[in-house]
Amino acid sequence: MAALDSDDEILQDFLVEAEEILEGLNEQLVELETKPEDSELLNAIFRGFHTIKGGAGFLSLDAMVGLCHKCEDLFNLLRQGDRIVDAEMMDTFLKVLDILNTMFDETKAGQFPTAAEPAILNQLGVYLEGGAEPEPEPVVEAPTINIADTATDSEDITDDEFEALLNQLHGSGAPGIETEADAKPAPAEPVAAKSDDDITEAEFEALLDELQGKTPAAKADVPAEPAAEVVAEPKVSPPPPAAKKSEPAAKPAAAAKPAETTVRVDTSRLDDIMNMVGELVLVRNRISTLEAAFEDEEMAKAVNNLAVVTGDLQTAVMKTRMQPIKKVFGRFPRVVRDLARSLKKDINLELRGEETDLDKNLVEALADPLVHLVRNAVDHGVEMPDVREAAGKTRQGLVVLAAAQEGDHILLTISDDGAGMDADILRSKAVEKGMMDEESASRLTDSEAYALIFAPGFSMKAEISDISGRGVGMDVVKTSISKLNGVIDIKSEVGVGTTLSIKVPLTLAIMPTLMVMLGDQIFAFPLVSVNEIFHLDLDKTNIVDGQQTIMVRNKTLPLFYLRKWLASTFNDTGEPRIEHVVIVNVGTQRVGFVVDQLIGQEEVVIKPLGALLQGTKGLAGATITGDGRISLILDFPELMATYAQRGY
Amino acid sequence: MTVRVLIVDDSGFFRRRLAAILSEDPQISVVATASNGQEAFEQVKRHKPDVITMDIEMPVMDGITATRKIMAHTPTPILMLSTWSTEGAKSTLDALDAGAVDYMPKRFEDISNDRDNAHRQLCQRLHHLAKKTAPMKIKTSTVHTPVAKTPAPASIPATRIASQQLRIVVIGTSTGGPVALQKVLSQLPLNFPYPILLVQHMPATFTPSFAERLNKQCQIKIKHAENGDRLIAGTAYLAPGGMQMLLKGSTNQAFIEIQASQSSQTYKPCVDITFDSVAMIYPQQTLAIILTGMGSDGNKSCQKLHELGSKIWAQDEKSSTIYGMPMAIAKSGIADGIYNLNDLGHHLAELS
Repeated sequence: MAALDSDDEILQDFLVEAEEILEGLNEQLVELETKPEDSELLNAIFRGFHTIKGGAGFLSLDAMVGLCHKCEDLFNLLRQGDRIVDAEMMDTFLKVLDILNTMFDETKAGQFPTAAEPAILNQLGVYLEGGAEPEPEPVVEAPTINIADTATDSEDITDDEFEALLNQLHGSGAPGIETEADAKPAPAEPVAAKSDDDITEAEFEALLDELQGKTPAAKADVPAEPAAEVVAEPKVSPPPPAAKKSEPAAKPAAAAKPAETTVRVDTSRLDDIMNMVGELVLVRNRISTLEAAFEDEEMAKAVNNLAVVTGDLQTAVMKTRMQPIKKVFGRFPRVVRDLARSLKKDINLELRGEETDLDKNLVEALADPLVHLVRNAVDHGVEMPDVREAAGKTRQGLVVLAAAQEGDHILLTISDDGAGMDADILRSKAVEKGMMDEESASRLTDSEAYALIFAPGFSMKAEISDISGRGVGMDVVKTSISKLNGVIDIKSEVGVGTTLSIKVPLTLAIMPTLMVMLGDQIFAFPLVSVNEIFHLDLDKTNIVDGQQTIMVRNKTLPLFYLRKWLASTFNDTGEPRIEHVVIVNVGTQRVGFVVDQLIGQEEVVIKPLGALLQGTKGLAGATITGDGRISLILDFPELMATYAQRGY
Repeated sequence: MTVRVLIVDDSGFFRRRLAAILSEDPQISVVATASNGQEAFEQVKRHKPDVITMDIEMPVMDGITATRKIMAHTPTPILMLSTWSTEGAKSTLDALDAGAVDYMPKRFEDISNDRDNAHRQLCQRLHHLAKKTAPMKIKTSTVHTPVAKTPAPASIPATRIASQQLRIVVIGTSTGGPVALQKVLSQLPLNFPYPILLVQHMPATFTPSFAERLNKQCQIKIKHAENGDRLIAGTAYLAPGGMQMLLKGSTNQAFIEIQASQSSQTYKPCVDITFDSVAMIYPQQTLAIILTGMGSDGNKSCQKLHELGSKIWAQDEKSSTIYGMPMAIAKSGIADGIYNLNDLGHHLAELS
């Protein structure tokens, strides 16, 4: 199969638009299930297929054209009220969408899309003709479409074109005017499209890889060259009267402006800008520190200005990288719908705060964990309709996926009104699995017990289903959230439901930190993890099970001496002292760390560790502090896993 | 003269492609783009483009509504870019009814396998349409005239044509033809005494819908011609798109033969091919009418018919959407009558 020129600007332009439409279709089709007769929605879906078909036609992506064409025709009947959507039709549409997405990926990878399997085209044909029963042996009609590499659907093709096509196929002038059934059945292509309704993890990951790796083009931005093109036109023109030429030239430029005002920028360029702004932030920090020594009012003013401008610039650059979380949320209606259907549950998904913006990289990084969590809520959280009814609840379960910005971080919550989790069952399960002895299990607080679901190999479900229950997903979720400097919190009540909250910073590039001293070295704590800071008389600690602990508002938290782990110049004088303690969220846990000195809050840019320190456990990276020193940034989850006696 | 174009399409991808194609022609400048009918309407008022390319399926306001609105307020030649499918035919014909002048396929491969050639054709079409400005207005208002309910005036002696001699009416047309044909044929009475052959340049997917549509709008019967159809008085036979329609048989046993077209033929259906075949059977008993259209298809065969003794009519310049095909007839000096579109149907009805 011939390759497409994936650098081709036209192809890229098409892909950007097609991707947006496909995302839209995904949502619209699910919405259609609840509003099967919403004519506006039907129109919108019709146009979606229509537009993709048009673009694909332009690029001769015939397999895509053929499939979209059938859908377009069918939606045309639907919007005219000649047909009504039923559940079976919905399934077919969603399958079509999966196939289209596969075709899209193929196209993106520079291949001509593989023709859709004849069965699905045939199925669409049956709907088009108004029959309810699919033909048992769909052989006759299908081959025409299987030729899709050269031809499109029969309706779009004139008879002589068709004849020419036949000539190509047979090598002779077969008079195939009568019907497309004349065509020899071409061998069916291996069908790339998956028949499974669910997005498997692997597929999802592959998709993510592609999103991140292969096409770094800004997807959110609607490209718009026309404005520029219009201006350029007159230059190309041969030399008719010069005076005439300049006048229309000026007009179109002004005229085209209101039409489209966006430009397409490669994300790598944005990354570069972000990096440079990061450097600028470091320089600003450095200058602010130096300035403090001068005590010069003018200087102070200038430095303050610099600080303000740098801050504004940083925000502005961050904004260019922002994408609404809708990009991730958009796929959930479909995920939930498919899952609920296969589990025979009745679930309503509510999306809130879809417009919340966050960094593009974060949007992509969050997609995977969120899918896991939502699937979990659907699979484990919400009960079967009968069970719900027996418990006095509505048959339809509710899953709410919400996003909101809270200061410098984003709060994502996934809540269900399902059965909730029983902490005792979790405790006994942990014992059963040999993860801890009965005594330590019984000492777990409820929220610690809930956190067990993130432990590797821990599954709540007795039976392993396709969807979840293998106990692998959740610890991956925890790891990936931790990598984003995120914090997970679980609240659950038996019979009422479970709420999972995830807190992640707004951006990954610049991180607010708390600077502390250990010995004579500076370390940076990601501020998002820092819960509280206080002074503590170290005499007031207890040893429980060999672990030093402190009581904070009636909660027992483990206490660790960071300098024992990280600073070489530690000598314990043994004298009772008042120490600084920083309470930090590590995943779902809270932990106290004793530090020598608190320096303060500082925004830093994370730099990768040099070759010498590369791979050192517990360090996320390094940065340059305001006074020009190097500070190491801590990675708490890894730190705990490496140094603490008990795994957290 | 630079032609100022407004591009209307909801797909940004398509707008950019179209703008790129049009930029190949130094004499065309895209003054603005619009992503729906409402925007288009506003852009037309602001920029007063010479010609508009219009998509049909759009959110907020579709292309047909927009066309109607633009033609009512700021009449501008509109070229519909539509899908050449059966469904596309219906909406394209609606758009023509609404006042659009012409249509082209969105898939340029549909006009020509040679992409550059297709692009040139598109640019050429825009140039042609842009030339046509003011006289356009008169047409739109009367398009929807209902079928005349009164029976035709009882046999007024045909002044120009000896009706005894006449056996068949043939009409050939291209750009602007769908509306023109509708206008002419809807004036003919149910008992129109001659069969009519219609050759309208149109893609294969359009002609069945077009025939069906005309049939609904007219008293006489209009059918999509089929191989072997025998001629019946008061029935018009529309040549199928993509094919060639020929008249065969004898003077008293004439029937239609539909032939596959050859790739060498520019027009499918071709007016000359049909008219030539008619000339073989009714050399002196034919009335050939050439309506609006680009090019000069029909000119050669009409010259032959004229020499043989048949009558030739042509549409006048003022009422022609594109004065190409009728102009060729007029210039050849073979026209027995040159009529305004409004009068053509009337004169034809007088023959009964």
